[in-house]
Amino acid sequence: MKMDTVIIGGGLSGLACGISLAKRGKRVTIVASGQSTMLFNGGSMEMLGYVDGKAVENPLGAIASLPESHPYRKIGADRIASIAERVKLLFSDSGIEMTGSANANHWRITPMGVAKPAWLTLSDHLRIDNLNQLPAKRLALMCIRGYFDQPNAMLAKGLRDLGFEVDMIEFTTDDITALRRSPSEMRATSLAKHLVSNNALQRVADQFNNLAGDADMVLMPSVFGQSDSSDFQLLQSKVNKPLRLVATLPPSVAGMRMMTQLRHYFKMLGGTYLTGDTAVSGTFDGDRLTSVTTAKLADMPLKADDFVLATGSFVSRGLKADFERVYEPVLGVDVDADADPEKWTRFGVLEPQAYFGYGVATDSQLRCLKQGKPIQNLRAIGSVLSGHDAVKMGDGTGVSLLTAIAAADHIREKK
Amino acid sequence: MVLLPLKQSFMVTSDIYKKEYDVIIVGGGATGAGTARDCALRGLSVLLVERNDYSTGATGRNHGLMHSGARYAVTDGESASECISENMILRRIARHCVEETDGLFITLPEDDLEYQKTFVEACQRAGIRADVIEPAEARRIEPAVNPELIGAVRVPDASIDPFRLTVANLLDARLHGAVTLNYHEVEGVVMNQNRIEGLKLFNKQNGEHVEVRGRVVVNAAGIWGQRIAQMAGANISMFPARGALLIFGHRVNNMVINRCRKPANADILVPDDTVCVIGTTSDRIPIETVDDMRVTREEVDVLLKEGVKIAPSLATTRIIRAYAGVRPLVASDDDPSGRSISRGIVCLDHAKRDGIEGFITITGGKMMTYRLMGEIATNAVCAKLGNTAPCVTAAQPLPGSEEGAPDQRDATKRYSFGQRAAIGRHGSLAARIEKDNDIDNALVCECEGVTVGEIKYAVHQLHVHNLVNLRRRTRVGMGTCQGKLCSCRAASLMGEFRHDVKGAQEDLAAFLDERWKGMRPVAWGDTLREAQLTSAIYEGLCGLDLAVNMEGKEDVQ
Repeated sequence: MKMDTVIIGGGLSGLACGISLAKRGKRVTIVASGQSTMLFNGGSMEMLGYVDGKAVENPLGAIASLPESHPYRKIGADRIASIAERVKLLFSDSGIEMTGSANANHWRITPMGVAKPAWLTLSDHLRIDNLNQLPAKRLALMCIRGYFDQPNAMLAKGLRDLGFEVDMIEFTTDDITALRRSPSEMRATSLAKHLVSNNALQRVADQFNNLAGDADMVLMPSVFGQSDSSDFQLLQSKVNKPLRLVATLPPSVAGMRMMTQLRHYFKMLGGTYLTGDTAVSGTFDGDRLTSVTTAKLADMPLKADDFVLATGSFVSRGLKADFERVYEPVLGVDVDADADPEKWTRFGVLEPQAYFGYGVATDSQLRCLKQGKPIQNLRAIGSVLSGHDAVKMGDGTGVSLLTAIAAADHIREKK
Repeated sequence: MVLLPLKQSFMVTSDIYKKEYDVIIVGGGATGAGTARDCALRGLSVLLVERNDYSTGATGRNHGLMHSGARYAVTDGESASECISENMILRRIARHCVEETDGLFITLPEDDLEYQKTFVEACQRAGIRADVIEPAEARRIEPAVNPELIGAVRVPDASIDPFRLTVANLLDARLHGAVTLNYHEVEGVVMNQNRIEGLKLFNKQNGEHVEVRGRVVVNAAGIWGQRIAQMAGANISMFPARGALLIFGHRVNNMVINRCRKPANADILVPDDTVCVIGTTSDRIPIETVDDMRVTREEVDVLLKEGVKIAPSLATTRIIRAYAGVRPLVASDDDPSGRSISRGIVCLDHAKRDGIEGFITITGGKMMTYRLMGEIATNAVCAKLGNTAPCVTAAQPLPGSEEGAPDQRDATKRYSFGQRAAIGRHGSLAARIEKDNDIDNALVCECEGVTVGEIKYAVHQLHVHNLVNLRRRTRVGMGTCQGKLCSCRAASLMGEFRHDVKGAQEDLAAFLDERWKGMRPVAWGDTLREAQLTSAIYEGLCGLDLAVNMEGKEDVQ
């Protein structure tokens, strides 16, 4: 089986790269374990949220202030600007409605009611463009009875601190009450499975219309709409005030929905998506990778002209650490990491942790290095890359998307 | 509407400070709690004060092993006899805190099989049942054991939950009139000439300084007892022995496994509820460092290397946490150099020893012998007060383990997962957990089966002020996921119970920080992965780091 490109990793970055290549007629196979950190997504993409602990207003403008080791610096600010426009297109082509600008961050609202800078946010989620001009005065915060993955009191306090008037209103419907009989069923994904029919949504809407009082916007946790945004539109059509969603603790229904939509689009473009399989090793010939072997297709190595490593960070097992070292487990390519394990972490759980910046070492064209030499046809993208910090810099999804498309461009341009 | 009703929360009123008590006990570990219970059962009026949460010292920082005494049989026959006698008592009075697992003492090819004979003879002398079994039989009854073993002895070791045990003693003391205060630190003593008449306390929760009065003060503060004694002008030479331990992410063994050799580093593996614990190292440390319980890389290295010899599957099992405790060893009075250190129980009457009236120190010993230590200390108190009531703590079951208490293993009963877990934790007291409200049965912590009702019960009746307290009372966040989502759910609920959202966020951050302290020394492999996941959720997704300011915050205990 010979492909143009094999992508190891089917998360946000792998899919964005796959779509970008498949759109140009490349034959692409993605090997996907089936798990993705989009399960923890809050309904937004972040290009660059913080530099030196300060919120960034203009992400594109702030790239110049980043260290040279940051993936954005490798791509270059000008190129990032044009790729950023293509990311928006990629989402709309996939049926994902997102708004935002790479020149001006807006604010997303976290499950704890904290405003964090964001680049793109789903149009059905609450967002604030200007903290001095809130999109509503009084909010009806609809809290689902018995659902604990939305810390309602924290959310309400955060919203009040931002200047909203907030009415916390508990509600339930027969469908939700039935779900609650099994004590472990009250998770966002099970709610989403049950809040699908016209009748179920009508019962929710009836509650909102009865209880929302004189609020001028209704907020509810993002717990429905598994496959696309039509459920939201249906509910909004039944509710007589503007309706917005707020992110919940994991699992993130919105994140899973986006992944479903991207996957559909990739397959529609002719891409092959191998779910539930993982790459375990690769065969090199000099400075080229010739094939990759997966766990399920052990006797059928995947051959391709180009390969992309999009396996994610430690959390996705794209990077591993043992008692003594940090390494990349599939292909054994070079990593940027401190040799001394004492430096990987520090006490203080909310302090910056060095290991967040660890990852695969690449050259200026995102090519992986092996024993210091670039592998000509192997590129790394997304969270597996070194030099960024999804938590403290707020650049995780941005690095995933922007490096994905930059790598796809390099692959197309090299011939 | 969203708020759940706040019921009979435990409040400190100023009346508590005004009263004169028969006895004031310093220290809320197992020994202090056991002493408080004994004193209260003998009809004394009791005040117990603890500077942090209950069971934060050595009580909460050991294996959770209910020794049969076999470990001490060869080296310290007296301790061994004490252990087996207390072991049999605890099986009766603290049934809901004990899991009767039995234990193995295994001989590996690198050990001397001759020692087994010495060991068995010593056990017999101390009255400990010790059955030599074939290695094949040992492998059959405990599949996790190192298959290369060349000898095995079966003994009545067991697993015990020290947090639950301490709380059960405190509950019983309170049922008999005792007042118990956590987060009250002793700042000084009130002396009248050569007699202690009370203590100066600092209430860490509201910043108040208060004085309390008592006829006798019992110093049961463990390693911190040296400082308490100093305040009264008595000098006790303590030799802190630090021991580090590792908790693994699931329970690989069903029996306690020991090495059959002279006690050494990391030679005991204990199953505790859903996890298992290997330990300990043993290092003498300077007394000034007893509050720094962070585990080093070297300690982890030793524990892992030795642990794998006991149960090879530990090599591939995730380590979820490292922790350390300090044994309060005391130099004997005729040799303050520390060369002859007692591992046994030490009860000092400072009137005889130092000319200070009304002051007793109870120290040394083991978590295992806490009840006996309580009895000895109470005898000394009663002698001073002229009280002649007999000790009944060996016969009377603790709350939760009364005659006819429900048993979580009773297959004839239909319990939900949460109810079964709660009965295991609280015994008959589980009946006090509310089930009427339609969300009381909802699970907050899925690993450990903790429900909303159980959290309410703990907050209102078990002195829970923060998530770390809650973890000790209910095991919330103690399971495999180490509080990844349940800590947020619990924080949010507590914020509602206590009407303090900002406080709940700070509490959540402090809870995560406390978890990280235990995870950081073992932060590689899946533990590092879990840590990154936790950061991704609480910082990346939620922005908890922006909602709270941790600077200048004291450690939560």
